[in-house]
Amino acid sequence: MAKKDKAAAKPAKQAKKSGGLSFFAILVMAVLLFMVALPTFITLVVGLLPSLLAFMFDRHRGRYLVRCVFGLNFSGVAPYVMELWQDGEQSMAMATHQLLDPMTMTIMYGAAGLGWLIYLVMPPVVANVLNLTAQRRAMELRQQQRDLIQVWGESLISEIEKGGR
Amino acid sequence: MADNAKMQPDDVPSDLETEDDAPLSDDGQEDQIAPSPETAAPTGVGNRHVDIGNFRIFPDLRLAEFDCGPSQAFVAEGTKRDDGPLFALLADPLLPTRSDLLRVLSGVRVAGQLDLLDYEIVYWPPLDRSTIVCFYSKPGGSKVFTDGGKKAVIDEHDLPLAVIAPIINVLTILSDKNLAHRNLRAENLFFADEERASVVVGDCVSLPAGFAQPLVYEPIDRMTADPAGRGSGALSDDLYALGIMIAALGIGHTPLSKFSDKEVIEMKLARGSFQTIAAHEKLPLTLIEPIRGLLCDDFEERWGLSELNNWLDGRRVKPVQGNTDRRAARAQNIGGRDYYTTRGLANGITNNWAASLAPLRDGVVEVWLRRGLNDAERSKAMSEAMRQMAWSGSDKRTAEDVLVSRGIAILDPNGPVRHKTFSAMLDGLGNMLSYDVQHGSGAQAFSEVVVRDLPTFWFSRLSGFRPEIQSQQQVYKGLRYYMQQQSMGYGYERCLYALVKNQHCLSPLVDKEYVIHIAQLLPALEKVAAITPHSNWPVDRHIAAFIAVRLQDDTEPQLTALQNTGDEVEFSRSIISLLALVQWRHGPDSLPHLGLWVARLMEPATKVFHSKERREKVEREIPKLAKRGNLVELYNLINDEKERRRDQDEFIAAVEEYSAADSEVFDLESSGSVRLILAEQIGRQVASFAATMIALLTVSALFMMIVW
Repeated sequence: MAKKDKAAAKPAKQAKKSGGLSFFAILVMAVLLFMVALPTFITLVVGLLPSLLAFMFDRHRGRYLVRCVFGLNFSGVAPYVMELWQDGEQSMAMATHQLLDPMTMTIMYGAAGLGWLIYLVMPPVVANVLNLTAQRRAMELRQQQRDLIQVWGESLISEIEKGGR
Repeated sequence: MADNAKMQPDDVPSDLETEDDAPLSDDGQEDQIAPSPETAAPTGVGNRHVDIGNFRIFPDLRLAEFDCGPSQAFVAEGTKRDDGPLFALLADPLLPTRSDLLRVLSGVRVAGQLDLLDYEIVYWPPLDRSTIVCFYSKPGGSKVFTDGGKKAVIDEHDLPLAVIAPIINVLTILSDKNLAHRNLRAENLFFADEERASVVVGDCVSLPAGFAQPLVYEPIDRMTADPAGRGSGALSDDLYALGIMIAALGIGHTPLSKFSDKEVIEMKLARGSFQTIAAHEKLPLTLIEPIRGLLCDDFEERWGLSELNNWLDGRRVKPVQGNTDRRAARAQNIGGRDYYTTRGLANGITNNWAASLAPLRDGVVEVWLRRGLNDAERSKAMSEAMRQMAWSGSDKRTAEDVLVSRGIAILDPNGPVRHKTFSAMLDGLGNMLSYDVQHGSGAQAFSEVVVRDLPTFWFSRLSGFRPEIQSQQQVYKGLRYYMQQQSMGYGYERCLYALVKNQHCLSPLVDKEYVIHIAQLLPALEKVAAITPHSNWPVDRHIAAFIAVRLQDDTEPQLTALQNTGDEVEFSRSIISLLALVQWRHGPDSLPHLGLWVARLMEPATKVFHSKERREKVEREIPKLAKRGNLVELYNLINDEKERRRDQDEFIAAVEEYSAADSEVFDLESSGSVRLILAEQIGRQVASFAATMIALLTVSALFMMIVW
């Protein structure tokens, strides 16, 4: 029993380790970015704020909320980071200008909201799809049983009942 | 039977031609006796008649002098050939006839025996049922003996040639075939011609052996049996009856006729047959020697045919001891009477059943056998019977009755099987059962005797070789098994048909049709089917047992299936199978009414198929085949083994498929919460996947835009 517990504890420990490692890698990258490209760092930090919040609050296994919010949030932030790199030559003025533009914030945070919305909507949609599939299968099976009764009549039912008893 | 023989002029079936040429007399029920045996065929008398085979019978013209016990004689004539003057002897339908003798004597001329021309089963309007009629040639002379006369009809010096010689011939022929006449008595003798030079013996086939014999004609070992259970007997029994017959003809009346049957039994047991008759009747001196020899109570010591022939030839014959029963030194008292012989004591015990238990159980009889009679063998057997009673367990009363019965068997092993009020010889158990069943006494007594295995004990006590008993022993082996089975085809009915070869089927459906042979069964049922509502199966316990015994084929599988009445499919299939088997073996080919009857009741049998389509096909076919009246085809329709197997295999597959579908539906319907959890998980995965893909596409698109 103790051995079993030990075996189960191992992957959890590993997961925690890898989680910690990725967090450390992000931190290192963030520090490097801060030192090399501060305007990009500022744009990313402000733009990906919803993803950071999601990262802090989503404690579920798999962190699907984080993935959903980050995926679309990043899609919203990415054009501005590109613009900063291409047109603004990594200037703080450009970064500030972008961040102070309500349209930019709306796009960045709206995209994050859209990710959150997808996260909320998708499970009921899948549940409905699964339920519909199950219902259809059940109907098919009922029809199959009706067909069998049509062919075999009462004796089939009595035999099934006998078996049931 | 005479009470039943009332005229019912309306009840004549179409297949038997009956004509009312002249109105019946005022008292149509009154017996009319033909003026004389020589009377010509009474065509001009103007009475109705029944035609059967080659004969015509006149139900209104009785010939009482040819009656034999309950069998009644009627005027008859041959219609297709000249058989000379003849008469018809109508057997009582409530008594079994003697099949073996019918077979041997029918159409055969035996000197000394009335010629049995033929026998037929005929519908007899006065009885409103069928029965056997035997057609005999009328003897040339009148009846020899009328009881109550004071003078000998035939001179004692003429007796050897006129009476004994012809009878010896009859007995020789019958004994060669291991048969006995068992109806030899002075009242059953007729003069063969007008000169009265010789006699012929009358009927012996129309009623059970010894049934019509006055008690005095029965040998000492058979006389205590009930008339119906006196048994088929052997030559020695006929010779005993011949001895009495000679005495009766010599003295002009039946010996000991002034005594009651009970007195005759007691006197014979106490003093022996010959001594009793010699003491009370004045026997002619010239006849004393054969009478003494023939009335010897020990059947092994009794005169045989050779001794009788020697006496006829005037040679000296060894004298016999009249009474060979050993007398005890002291008496054994039962019911207030003293008994000195084992036979007497056995009879005393039978007459005092309840009172006899104590002396048997307490060993008093055993001590009497050992000390009074000095018979160590019987004493040992008695103590063994007592010991077996002690081991009997809970059913003490039954064990006590068995002890009394076994006690009687030990004391008188050659006598009848006696159990409470039941008393029948081993070779007369079947006739006794037949009589009891047909006369309202039921089969209870017989059942008790067989279930308690008393015949086997009786057989074990018999000493000496008696071929007629040996052959019976084989028959009895299965009886106990039959009695212990409760289902159709077994029980007392099976025993009855197994024991009595000429027993007609007693099923209420065909009782009146007098079905003796299996080939008669289906035509009789066909007749019944035309007039009765088809509410019950045309096979009941009697018919099932009748088929089981009379049909040569093995019917055990069908009878085994009949044991489970709850399984209506197998039950109906077995019944149809039995009937089809009979039709296949014995025909007739077409039984439309019976076919319809069976078809109406065979709905459960169609359930042998599970498939609705197959059933409907069978149901469509049934009326067509029923109309053709072929039960074999009907049976084959529901018993197509290949089709049944295929149906069964497909059905099993269908059941499995149905069950699998059922459990899958159950799983689908009961897995709602699980599916929600699953949907939650999948939904999140799908959402995260979609988001990741959007991100990748956006970044890729931007990268592309920058590059190009």
